[in-house]
Amino acid sequence: MAQSLAKEFTKGLWTELPPFRLVLGLCPVLAVTKSVENGIGMGVATTFVLVCSNLLVSLLRNIIPAKVRIACFIVIIATFVTIVELLMQAYAYPLFLKLGIFIPLIVVNCIVLGRSEAFASKNGPIMSVADGLGIGIGFTLSLGALGAVREFLGNGTLTIWEGLPVFSMGPDFLPFRFMLEAPGAFVGLGLMLFLMNLIPQK
Amino acid sequence: MREMISMIVVLTVLTVISGGLLAAVKSGTEEQIEIQVLKFQKAPAIESIFPDVTNDPIADRFTIKTEEMKLQVFPTKLADGSKAVAFETKGTGFGGPVGLMVAVNINSDKVIDVRMTAHAETPGIGTKPKEDLFFVSQFTGLSIMDTDFNLKGSGGVIDAVSGATVTSNALCTAAVKAKEVYQKLKPEIIKQMK
Amino acid sequence: MSDLFVLAISCIFINNILLAQFLGQCPFLGTSKKMETAVGMSMAVVFVLVMSGIITWIVDVYLLKALDIEYLRTVAFILVIASLVQFVEMFLKKSIPALYAGLGIFLPLITTNCAVMGVCLININEEYTFLQAVIASFAYAIGFGLALILFAGVRERVDLGRVPKPLQDTSIGLVTAGIIALTFMSFKGMV
Repeated sequence: MAQSLAKEFTKGLWTELPPFRLVLGLCPVLAVTKSVENGIGMGVATTFVLVCSNLLVSLLRNIIPAKVRIACFIVIIATFVTIVELLMQAYAYPLFLKLGIFIPLIVVNCIVLGRSEAFASKNGPIMSVADGLGIGIGFTLSLGALGAVREFLGNGTLTIWEGLPVFSMGPDFLPFRFMLEAPGAFVGLGLMLFLMNLIPQK
Repeated sequence: MREMISMIVVLTVLTVISGGLLAAVKSGTEEQIEIQVLKFQKAPAIESIFPDVTNDPIADRFTIKTEEMKLQVFPTKLADGSKAVAFETKGTGFGGPVGLMVAVNINSDKVIDVRMTAHAETPGIGTKPKEDLFFVSQFTGLSIMDTDFNLKGSGGVIDAVSGATVTSNALCTAAVKAKEVYQKLKPEIIKQMK
Repeated sequence: MSDLFVLAISCIFINNILLAQFLGQCPFLGTSKKMETAVGMSMAVVFVLVMSGIITWIVDVYLLKALDIEYLRTVAFILVIASLVQFVEMFLKKSIPALYAGLGIFLPLITTNCAVMGVCLININEEYTFLQAVIASFAYAIGFGLALILFAGVRERVDLGRVPKPLQDTSIGLVTAGIIALTFMSFKGMV
């Protein structure tokens, strides 16, 4: 039991690491990773929705009729997304302004609906929470990593909290602005995927 | 048939629970959200317009409700003893709505200063033009009663920021709206400021 | 009139939904390996996006704003889009089987296509009027199709080349998309 629980949790961190191994939910990955702070904020919001919706879907999996299950999942997910949206507005307003419409768009993030459909609707609540947490943390780390690469190359800084850089290359650094623009997001993610593919899979 | 009923029942119950839950969260966070909006969107503009006033215009704010609109008004007293208010109006550019905080001296009906206010941005979309101090300084000292705040190209008195014509136009629209609002609500504002 | 034209141009090129706003990436990478599927997906998106843009605008203005329950927007929009897609699917199957044969398999995918939901939300956030919302939805959909079909064309050629193994498939696809996004960046400053 404990072993399989650990397995469900850790698979999200490597073998099924989104968005690299599971190429899903790319929109927020590309759009919000202009800084580490934005990336991690988005990741945490998505993790919250993922864990809560996985838990509820798995608790209700025997009540929900098969034919309308997708509609039910969507209602559950949309509810949690709205809760996150309201909480962020109340307690992390600057981040809410930066992430903009990508917060409500968590509702159409394929990862969230995908986990409900593929995992939570077939497994018990504890397993589903472990799965959601693992995938969510993996997603957060990926967003943070891409954010770090883009922010470092594009601006010469690394920002974790409240817009204050914890690390800065100083004024002599010539930033590679391309990385902060739209094309830089695509190329950055493509090259990171390439690096991950270099490491052989078991 | 039974299957059909259970489908409808489950979906309805789920939607009702979701609606109720959200209404509860909404009413729980409403006050906090209003504070945050004031703090991050309006406070910076108000502070930069009224750098050294004795009161806190945000704490002293009041709301005027008419049939068509709700207006938040931030009152203060200037150094020379005359009363002043700030309020926000919106204009629409292609990049979405742009907010303009307008401060007016009530005794002389002259514009003290204007500032752009922050708005949610869509990551990825080109960043909105930064505030141009020359542009906003054009408004200072104009009478809010009889100035045409449109761009010079449309018969007004304001010069557009080059490269940001659309935003300039949106800000001018907001200023024209501010003029209408002020003229209409001035008696009400004076009444509430006592 | 010229305002609407400028709006359309900026939605198609400058704020291109795939390459500048990063919405709808899943179908962008998923259906761009073959020209055929790319064309099918683009048509389905144009169809659904315009319809849902119109309906969500009406729902927002006459239902959510009128009743002052704007916080239910996310729930309401996703339900509207999901049921619209179902309805369109059933309607096409019965009435226009030829069109259904072409678009059918793409329709269920559109529910979770964030381009559709994204454009509906942008229409509301930017406070567009009804006419502007219709034009913007259509223009965004055209921009989606344009970028997707261009990308599929390039990707078919790239697949013929000898790409190193770790770089194959999605990886080289993303880099290619980056270069296409670079060309779209040159439209900036046009308006």
